[in-house]
Amino acid sequence: MRVMDFTLSDKQKNLQWAAGEFAKGEFLPDLATELDQAGRFPESVWKKACQLGFIGIHYPREFGGAGLGIFETVLVTEALSRVDAGFANALASLDAGSEVILKFGTREQKEKILPRLTKGDLRLTVAACEAEAESAGSSDALETQKDARGYVLHGTRRLVPNAPLADRFVVPCYEPGDGRITLMVEKGQEGPKVHSVEKMGLRLTPSGDIDLGKIRVSPGNRVGQAGEGGLHLDHYHQERGLRNIAQGLGAAQGAYDRAVQYARQREQFGSRLSQFQIIRHKLAEMRAGLDVIRFVTYKAAADYDRERLTRAVLAIARMEVRKILVRIVDEALQIFGGYGYMSDQAIERCYRDAWALAAELGTEEEQKDVIADEILGPPNHLIPKK
Amino acid sequence: MALSFELSDEQITFQHRVRTIAKKEVTPLVEEYERKEAFPSQLFRILGEEGLLCLRCPREYNGPGLDKVSECIFVEEINRVCAGIGSSIMVHGGLATDPVLLCGSEELKRRYLPFAARGEKIGAFAMTEPNAGSDVGGIQTTASRKGEGFLLSGTKTFITNGTICDFVTVAATTDPGRRGEGMTLFVVDRGSPGFSVTRKLKKLGNLSSDTGELSFHDCYVPQEHVIGAGKGGEVLDQTLKSGRITYGARSTGIGQAALDATFSFVTQWKRQGVPLGRSQAVRCAVAEMAVVVETMRTMTYRGAWLYDQGRASMKDASVVKLFCTESVQQIVEKAVALQKRAGLVKENPVQRFLRDARLLKIPEGTSEIQHLIIAKELGL
Repeated sequence: MRVMDFTLSDKQKNLQWAAGEFAKGEFLPDLATELDQAGRFPESVWKKACQLGFIGIHYPREFGGAGLGIFETVLVTEALSRVDAGFANALASLDAGSEVILKFGTREQKEKILPRLTKGDLRLTVAACEAEAESAGSSDALETQKDARGYVLHGTRRLVPNAPLADRFVVPCYEPGDGRITLMVEKGQEGPKVHSVEKMGLRLTPSGDIDLGKIRVSPGNRVGQAGEGGLHLDHYHQERGLRNIAQGLGAAQGAYDRAVQYARQREQFGSRLSQFQIIRHKLAEMRAGLDVIRFVTYKAAADYDRERLTRAVLAIARMEVRKILVRIVDEALQIFGGYGYMSDQAIERCYRDAWALAAELGTEEEQKDVIADEILGPPNHLIPKK
Repeated sequence: MALSFELSDEQITFQHRVRTIAKKEVTPLVEEYERKEAFPSQLFRILGEEGLLCLRCPREYNGPGLDKVSECIFVEEINRVCAGIGSSIMVHGGLATDPVLLCGSEELKRRYLPFAARGEKIGAFAMTEPNAGSDVGGIQTTASRKGEGFLLSGTKTFITNGTICDFVTVAATTDPGRRGEGMTLFVVDRGSPGFSVTRKLKKLGNLSSDTGELSFHDCYVPQEHVIGAGKGGEVLDQTLKSGRITYGARSTGIGQAALDATFSFVTQWKRQGVPLGRSQAVRCAVAEMAVVVETMRTMTYRGAWLYDQGRASMKDASVVKLFCTESVQQIVEKAVALQKRAGLVKENPVQRFLRDARLLKIPEGTSEIQHLIIAKELGL
């Protein structure tokens, strides 16, 4: 009988250890504070991560990657986020959109783009968000027209991560003849125009609204087939979702680590905080939450690599990671007390970053819709009438 | 009198007046001062002229002489507009001046209350120390006899209005060898030799309130500035009993603001072509927010009413503080969550509500301490 094995291989452990060591050496607290205040991307740390091969480890070797699975990417992401979720998010976000190119791109597109992403020569991002309330789904597509020379895009996208830095934008579009398509827009003279946005958390990943003006995209910059845009976006949300839950898991672990350390050193009423049952039980609950979200995260990533990840399993992971992440970070801050509320302590930024990560993980209501669809099938009003 | 939940006519008129003034005088300042991370000090004069500072301060000391219920009305309305600004004003009219108002000598009242009530002098309150937060009895700031007065030495931190205050009510111990014994409060003027503001602190939220670290080094305080010699603990309890009820009003104000913002968000935006407000899950979430706001408000005003009857116990005050400061978190968290990325943009007030409300579980007794107080008051 084969027993279910919850252990990592030595190779996986080493990879996770190496990522953690890199993060401890590079994600320096003073630098984090400085970049957070300025809302600036960690250029030099990103370059180092590229040199050491931490970007795109799940890309095939022929395209500059290490040929590993998303599971390994999740392990690395968790380890980086544990040390500093802000740095980790910034490093993870400049290849957003690679998901679509990896799975649906032509060989030429892969050769042209993926190796450059791993080397830090190219910065990619996804511009999928139309308005505050829009979520993953059909309404994300930008209206587009086609003529003899290619596609013409115009419109705006809101709150695009890394918009101020990106060289290329992967944009989900809708063209009346082609249906839903995915286009790559290069930043050039004619646009798109980027308006930086100030945000509360994950400030090392600068965001912006983009105005595409009226931009022309050559047919060669279409990724995948016409009509497949919905599939592309689903795939993007799935793979990116896995990387996001790994960030959430790492961020929660990092907040917990800080709280444990503080509870061991801080004295009140003549004892260490670690001696008070209230604090001990808080930490116990946080630890229990970490075990739960580590399990669902690893399970979802392993399912993905075996090509059997269902939408519901990912939705469950997103929902639980989100819920437990915000609880753990909140309790960690509470253990720090007044100090936790002050920017001198890293936990203050952890709190802001955790809420920004939570936004990436989507709302609880969205995830429940997905899970319920798997249990019950979609509700009648969402089944298209023929 | 029969059970009644009605505000009096005067209180209703007062509520309308406060709402109007908050909108006219406070709203236009919020964005600028949140960005500057500073308190708009001009507000003290403006609110002083309107008779909206130190609300329970009697008319004989130039105060408006209102009750606790009215104070809560005021605090709720100000916090609905801006909790950071609300925090500074609350400390000025609460912790900083209540020890004088409730337990100070006649001379001390005459010396400080009229100036504070008119907004001519800004007050702060200094209890917390780097090594004494929840552990109030562990304060290490000492007061040693010197002639007719005392010399204060020690460090105080997380002090609201710390860098802008004109006077500060400081807790120190005359008996450092014995925990909690000999605690005494002192009113210290800014500019007293030996008193300095060491730095301004940066924080998660309440950015338009001022928070500082203070240092006392052989700072001489005359005998007339002493409150509750050796019985500072009792003065502190009186002050905190009132202050903890006020936290109910702060929570209610922030909660109401988050409910308002959420209501307009879900009526304006669509998801997959359907207005958000049509979703059952969203309707339930908004309903839940409304339930919590109503419950917080009812508890707060009941606590304030009990206080006005002279019947509020420390348990009553702690119940209000614990319930309201914990409950408001649910509201602000949901408000932010529903808006996803957009909820975290600086221009969106819901992210400010989240950062501001997060504070409330910490000062004037953390939630953990409130639990322990309530258990103790219940006889455990």
